[in-house]
Amino acid sequence: MLVIRRREGEAVLIGEDVEVEVLEITPARVKLGIRAPEAVQVLRKELKATREQNLAAARGVSDEGLARLLRLLGR
Amino acid sequence: MPRLATRYFGPVDYAVESVYSFPSGLPGFEEERDFLFIEQPANKPLVFVQSIATPELCLLAAPARAVAPDYRLALSTEDRAELGLEQDRQPEIGPDLLCLLILSVEEGAPPTANMLSPLVVNLRLRRGIQAVQAGSGYSHRHPLGVGAPEARCW
Repeated sequence: MLVIRRREGEAVLIGEDVEVEVLEITPARVKLGIRAPEAVQVLRKELKATREQNLAAARGVSDEGLARLLRLLGR
Repeated sequence: MPRLATRYFGPVDYAVESVYSFPSGLPGFEEERDFLFIEQPANKPLVFVQSIATPELCLLAAPARAVAPDYRLALSTEDRAELGLEQDRQPEIGPDLLCLLILSVEEGAPPTANMLSPLVVNLRLRRGIQAVQAGSGYSHRHPLGVGAPEARCW
């Protein structure tokens, strides 16, 4: 992983088209501004995991899977 | 009384007042706003989260504390506003606030619970969101039957 130190107001460039600027730093979090072409999807990482897991969960459960779930939940 | 085709239970009659609304939908299902929570004594503590608009869409879930008794929920101010909750304190899971974890069963792997992104419902308003617990350390694929990892408080 490339590690770069930046201060408030400084930015990094990714490729030709993507710019990430550090807008604000507090003890708990940083605020980033991202400039990117519309075709580049920018997502919070945890939101991507949530979406993929929702889609996986929606594939459904067989009777056997249901029985496994109930066993693991103490039934 | 309207009748709904459901994924697991065939046609089900339901009262309009029993519908739960998720005004922002769920990630991956942004257009799905209205759900029934179907519970059956034989399947306790499972909750079947059935879409009203799409009969094939039904997620399995369980109350967070049934999966992990020490589960800790932290809602951002934006989440609290969307749920219509008081802003001045962190709400507690309880009679007015339901917290469900979505369960996944995939072939050849242990069933998992999504501890990262619980469904949180204000029961007084019947309004819910999927509240992603960023920074909590919780996994979106927590194997069932294993103790909950220690979550950080902030």
